[in-house]
Amino acid sequence: MLMMSRREGETILIGDEIEIVIARIGRTRVKVGIRAPRETPVIAREVKLVREENLAAAAAPPAAVALSGLLARLHPAAQSARRRP
Amino acid sequence: MPVFETKHFGKLSYEPDSELDFPRGLPGFDDRTRFIAVHFVENDPLIYLQSLEDPALCFITMPILTVDPQYRLKVSGEDLVDLGLGSTRQPKIGDDVLCLTVLSIRETGPTANLLAPILVNLRNRKAVQAVALESDYSHQFALMPETPNEALPEAAVC
Repeated sequence: MLMMSRREGETILIGDEIEIVIARIGRTRVKVGIRAPRETPVIAREVKLVREENLAAAAAPPAAVALSGLLARLHPAAQSARRRP
Repeated sequence: MPVFETKHFGKLSYEPDSELDFPRGLPGFDDRTRFIAVHFVENDPLIYLQSLEDPALCFITMPILTVDPQYRLKVSGEDLVDLGLGSTRQPKIGDDVLCLTVLSIRETGPTANLLAPILVNLRNRKAVQAVALESDYSHQFALMPETPNEALPEAAVC
């Protein structure tokens, strides 16, 4: 992986059309501005993970049979959850 | 009362005002905006999130506090706007929002997506899947781990 040090306000170019600006550097986070062609999707990696996870979740039929072990295991937890005010 | 023919549960009738509105859909299902939450007593605490636009689309979910009683919500400003909530404070689970975690059934056992809980505003039924970008929660939290998850309190593992 290419590593590059940049200061606040400095820019990185990827190809001719993608521009990444280091907008602000905080204590634990950096704010990054991204300029890219409309057809280039820009998302946080977590969103991609969630998308893949949703596709996997939707593929499984909601059969109670497949879940019976889980339900048996969860039952006491469910009871204690209901007891909470 | 409207009736919707589903793939997995047959015909379901529902109160019109129980419909959930996901203005931006869910990641991977961006054009699916209308769902209902289906609960069967015998499958408690599971809640099925059934699409009203695709008879075959159904997520298995459960209240996130059932998985992790200490779960901490961190909702982005954009998601708060979609929910019709103010951005001055985080919503409270149970008071302001219903908070569900989506389950995946894998060969290795069921997992819960704690990274992106489903939030429903209890007052207006607006809903989002809120990706917690600044949290350390897993999108594949093992519900029946062979070795216990460290973050899961013993009481919830049973």
